[in-house]
Amino acid sequence: MAAGLRAVRRWRLVAAAAPSLAFTRSAFVVRQPNNAQPNWLGVGLAFGTSAAVWGLLVKQHNEDVMEYERRKQARGHKCTECS
Amino acid sequence: MAFLPDESRSLPPPPLLNKGSMWLGFAGWMTALIDNAFNQRPIFRAGIHRQILLATLGCFVGYQLVKRTEYMHAKVDRELFEYIRHHPVDFNSSTG
Repeated sequence: MAAGLRAVRRWRLVAAAAPSLAFTRSAFVVRQPNNAQPNWLGVGLAFGTSAAVWGLLVKQHNEDVMEYERRKQARGHKCTECS
Repeated sequence: MAFLPDESRSLPPPPLLNKGSMWLGFAGWMTALIDNAFNQRPIFRAGIHRQILLATLGCFVGYQLVKRTEYMHAKVDRELFEYIRHHPVDFNSSTG
């Protein structure tokens, strides 16, 4: 419990000292993120993955619709009690 | 049980943009915006590729979850109607 109280006090100091509630990490461990120069590899991968996932989603939806229609035809409305 | 059993394909698929996929896509977009805020970047104008990627992943996961939800509900409904069919005595008189 003492460790927990110490952690809370540390967080309050961090929040009070930082200009806003920004995550602060040791400079020995992490690099300074350079937001001025775009990380083109990351941007390309993100856009490429988004396009791939949208394509997959649309393809899967169309396949689902076709499979449903096919099964409806095959069943020929045998069961009339449930909709 | 598998996430989406084969018989779930007999159900009408939900529309591509349904409540679940829209909400999770919105949640993914919010995650990107909050990440911008925590890293002290302009909230809307920074990391457009990140916003689009997280929104897309949210929509995808939401769509799969809605499909599974509809399957679970349909399964329960089917079992309910089967039970009603097998026990007509209990359900005959709607007065009491």
